[in-house]
Amino acid sequence: MTNQKHQFDASPVVVEDLAPALRLSLRVKPAHRATLGQALGLDLPARVGACKVAGGTEALCLGPDEWLITAPEGTDLATPARAVYATAPHSLVDISDREITLRLSGPAVLDLLAACCPRNVAAMPVGSAARTVFDSATVILWRDGPTDFRMDIWRSFVPHVRSLLSQVQGEIAAGL
Amino acid sequence: MLLIHCPYCEDTLPELEFTYAGEAHIARPADPSALSDEEWRDFLFIRTNARGPHYERWRHIGCGRFFNALRDTVSDRFLMTYKAGEARPTLTNEAAE
Amino acid sequence: MSRFRIPGKGRVDHSAPVSFTFDGKTYRGLRGDTVASALLANGVHLMGRSFKYHRPRGPVTAGSEEPNALIGTSRGAGRFEPNTRATVQELRAGLVTESQNKWPSLSFDIGAVNDRAYMLFSAGFYYKTFMWPKSFWDKVYEPVIRGAAGLGKSPTEVDPDHYASRYLHTDVLIVGAGPAGIAAALAAAQSGADVTLVDENAEMGGSLLSDPAVQIDGKPAWDWVDAQLGRLRAAGVRLMTRTTAIGYYHQNMVGLCQRLTDHLDNPPKGAPRERMWRVRAGQVVLAQGALEKPLVFDGNDRPGVMLAGAAQTYLHRYGVKVGDSPAVLTSHDSAWYAAFDLADNGARVAAIIDTRDVVRPDLLDGARKRGIEVLAGHTVTTTRGRLRVKSVRAAPVRGTHVGRGRDIPCDCLLMSGGWTPSLHLFSHTKGSLAWDADGNTFLPDRKTEECEIAGAGRGLWGYQAVLADGAAAGLRALQGLGRAGHEGRFTVANDRPGTGVSHTELPTDGNAGKARAFIDFQNDVTAKDIRLAVREGMRSIEHVKRYTTNGMATDQGKMSNINGLMIAADALGKAPPQVGLTTFRPPYTPTSFGAFCGYLRGETFQLTRKTPIDSWAEANGAVFEPVAQWRRAWYFPKPGEDMHAAVLRECKATRASLGIFDASTLGKIEVAGPDAVEFMNRMYTNPWTKLAPGRCRYGLLLGEDGFIRDDGVIGRLSPDLFHVTTTTGGAARVLTMMEDYLQTEWPDLDVWLTSTTEQWATVALNGPNALAMLKPLVQGVDWDDFPHMSCAECTVAGLPARLFRLSFTGEIGFEVNVPARHGLALWTALMEAGKPYDICPYGTETMHVLRAEKGYIIVGQDTDGTVTPADAGLDWAVGKAKKDFVGKRSLSRPDITAKGRKQLVGLLTEDGSPLQEGAQIVLDPNQPKPMKMVGHVTSSYQSTMGHPIAMAVIEGGFDKMGETVFIPMPDGVRKARVTSTVFYDPDNTRLKA
Repeated sequence: MTNQKHQFDASPVVVEDLAPALRLSLRVKPAHRATLGQALGLDLPARVGACKVAGGTEALCLGPDEWLITAPEGTDLATPARAVYATAPHSLVDISDREITLRLSGPAVLDLLAACCPRNVAAMPVGSAARTVFDSATVILWRDGPTDFRMDIWRSFVPHVRSLLSQVQGEIAAGL
Repeated sequence: MLLIHCPYCEDTLPELEFTYAGEAHIARPADPSALSDEEWRDFLFIRTNARGPHYERWRHIGCGRFFNALRDTVSDRFLMTYKAGEARPTLTNEAAE
Repeated sequence: MSRFRIPGKGRVDHSAPVSFTFDGKTYRGLRGDTVASALLANGVHLMGRSFKYHRPRGPVTAGSEEPNALIGTSRGAGRFEPNTRATVQELRAGLVTESQNKWPSLSFDIGAVNDRAYMLFSAGFYYKTFMWPKSFWDKVYEPVIRGAAGLGKSPTEVDPDHYASRYLHTDVLIVGAGPAGIAAALAAAQSGADVTLVDENAEMGGSLLSDPAVQIDGKPAWDWVDAQLGRLRAAGVRLMTRTTAIGYYHQNMVGLCQRLTDHLDNPPKGAPRERMWRVRAGQVVLAQGALEKPLVFDGNDRPGVMLAGAAQTYLHRYGVKVGDSPAVLTSHDSAWYAAFDLADNGARVAAIIDTRDVVRPDLLDGARKRGIEVLAGHTVTTTRGRLRVKSVRAAPVRGTHVGRGRDIPCDCLLMSGGWTPSLHLFSHTKGSLAWDADGNTFLPDRKTEECEIAGAGRGLWGYQAVLADGAAAGLRALQGLGRAGHEGRFTVANDRPGTGVSHTELPTDGNAGKARAFIDFQNDVTAKDIRLAVREGMRSIEHVKRYTTNGMATDQGKMSNINGLMIAADALGKAPPQVGLTTFRPPYTPTSFGAFCGYLRGETFQLTRKTPIDSWAEANGAVFEPVAQWRRAWYFPKPGEDMHAAVLRECKATRASLGIFDASTLGKIEVAGPDAVEFMNRMYTNPWTKLAPGRCRYGLLLGEDGFIRDDGVIGRLSPDLFHVTTTTGGAARVLTMMEDYLQTEWPDLDVWLTSTTEQWATVALNGPNALAMLKPLVQGVDWDDFPHMSCAECTVAGLPARLFRLSFTGEIGFEVNVPARHGLALWTALMEAGKPYDICPYGTETMHVLRAEKGYIIVGQDTDGTVTPADAGLDWAVGKAKKDFVGKRSLSRPDITAKGRKQLVGLLTEDGSPLQEGAQIVLDPNQPKPMKMVGHVTSSYQSTMGHPIAMAVIEGGFDKMGETVFIPMPDGVRKARVTSTVFYDPDNTRLKA
């Protein structure tokens, strides 16, 4: 009989915790986007899902008036932002502790994500990101490379997401 | 599971990223105290319950935005979606098909 | 070697024997066999008993449409599965199988007495027989029927296997890898499209696997299939076998169930048994082929009677001759080829009986060459044999007259009533069907989805036609994606084209009233039952179906629907399209519950949220309770304590000195921006303008209908910044509601909302010693200006913190918020610092008791979506001077201001017994039933005051202070006095340190 070779790469996937970083939620109306960007020394992208990195600080556009900014711990963005508050009112909230960041990588990482993400993750361009769902948890997913992702998960959802990830890692390791 | 076009993300995405948010184009009166009890009742409770094209609101988890949609409640098909605050589009024959 | 196995023939591995058992007896099959093919190779046709009459049955098909050969399979402890189709289950070493619906044994079954009494068990039998006496239904009829009913036996153990899920996005999904599907895949795989080809069988090739003599492009069929699959693989096409498309949903979403391990001797560790794929395809090509129809005649269900196409499959794929001397009964050309192939492989074909008077000359030639007797214009009027067919009675038909018949000895009968396209998936999309009068069948008509239907699935026959159609469909799919390609061409030699005619039940020379001519084999529905249903007034095919159970078996009418329709239409005197088909619904074939569940079982059954302090609670013996999605520490029992004792100890310790509580689950929202105070004024009932930075206030949130939605303490940290807390369960809902107003009603406001629920870990300290204990740990707070209802940004135990002075217990209280990563460190530091005060960790139950003693409400427990601020005694929280806020207009609606609304009051029982939450309240316990209920108990606890306390909503409750109400319970009526909701320290003396 014809032997049907299994089509799906059984190579491993790696799930790692990333060290905490400064994480800020910036909300500002589109009219003041440029002012804020200038004050923070960042190019705030206008397209949802687009990321811009400048000197270790990354701005991800999550919505028309919402950016997620990540930077090394200790970076002071609050002071320059406050300086333009009167002319460019905004909200800049420290949410460094709200989420845990996992790094998901390896040749089978798309299978790992496809187990619980209804979105077409394979079609995400490298360098883009999206707020989406993983099973019943809302997550933010960055595609840093073809097989290299970061996932931000609200802290209390992490045990559930981790358990799912390890189940899927098990099936990937089993090769089926 | 439906696919829904988010007018803010300009992307067509799985329904699991969206939540339904009731009928569209029901604006909160600027001065509720000026309304009669009957008018206020209608604002609160009276909905069209359309069979066929229905103007309704959805929210996208991705960008967090509420937006409007025209969906056929018989076929469960989205005819179009558009941003919150935009005028109610007229239903063209093309869209209805 | 098994007697009916032809050495070297078929696609099974003749060098790899596999042992398995059936009803305790060990058999040998080959790698690549199904249970059915292996049993047939051993000469076993009898594989089960039917559902109603317990008639002996053998396999009638070789595929997933099998209605008869249902077996129980066991793959070790906990891995028993009933109703497995023997025609689908692949052999694996050590497989244990058993027949069903028999006792004491398959060959001698007591339940077969039903068969002798078949006259009693006609259509609608249940509806007619068990009508009276009425009282017999519960006690006699139902238990007896339930005992006898059911197909197979349910497994009793937890399924130890695990099941996987996967989403897949593909440009073109092709369902069915027969000639049409493969041709479609070849066409679609051009131009770099992402193509997925799935087939429910163990290997791809479809009907070509059963027709090896066909030549395509000069290659024998099997070589051609291998070559094309190789090409597809090289082109990156995803090829999935053992994968059934179970349902076709909106916008080209197709559910696939992939069976991964049932066929493996030793599944790899950690491998899931099945995987459910949710596929989103740009284009779908349905190339599912056609299903062969049985013919309807007396005795058509006897073991040994099977579809001709199935016999051909057993012969070519499995090298199994289904009998030594088959007879053939057909109304379609295709069965002639099955007869030829069997004859060419050593079977002595007893006769080909064709219902048609005129048959194609080349077929007649083929029969003559092989020495096969041909009876054209004949019918079979009955079959004989107890557990296996021994002979068939063939009789000539002239018009409606059936001539004298003769018995033809045989050991199996291969029948074909023609072919009907597999319409199931197409029907899931609500695509419409059109009646094809020539083929006497329904064909797919108007489409609702981006899909193509190819090959035998739309009524085509013959490989040349099917291949060309598949290629065209694949190309159209590609073009539908906006891509270009060329149409493949195929040259077919030794093609096997064919046509046929359709019948209702075949004419008989016997007593038509006594004929047992089966339509639905599994549910034992006969032609007579359908006609009876029509006679008794069933006009709609849906009613006929339900009255007779035709098409309601596990094969969902794959074998029976068209035959049932033809007979019903004939009985109704209507054309078949006027009668119509019943609706096909997913799943296409029976699908395991495990595959539907996927990962949603065990610890991932439901999302469970845990706080940063959860690990400490677990290590310290907490009993948990679920609150919204969270698991929260409920109470902390000490050795020997029950819940009541633990909660009373925790309550008393907090009232006496100091209690500590993990309040991290409270929803938190940062409201920031120049218009923050304006926004708060519009959302909440309370006035916020005059709340000074550094102070906090209890906030009440209504819906526009004026009913309480949520509450919480809200701190103003600076003029433009509010720290809002919500209930645990309301956090997401409140944020969504606020965002909705902000985005769609007040987009002009410069204010923004950020969820900080999980940014902060929150620890509550309560008790007379809370201030004394906390003070030394805090830096950055001016204690001279930090009264009850204050807030500040400071440090606590060296950690950056937001400190709130507030109380949900009536004692001096604080809530310390620190960044979540420090939550556990804060908790440990406070536990250490609290030692001198006998600090006592408490859980949600103690929190509830302490708040209830003070009459503080829990939204969602003491309110239920119909309670206004006035109803809850919270009028004081409504800023009446404000012109507007969400819900304000509703507070003056006539039904909200009317007398007699249910109002929140306290209850104290007269005999000191506790009340049950949810218990109904009446004013007169002696009134006739049904009694007028005036309210219900919303909260009830044992209190620290030595007697139980309760809260309740009662009609006009505020005017009933001091009056007695009654709570009828199963063990007697409780009497209770209506009181204020504040049971403890009504003057708030303990809050003022």
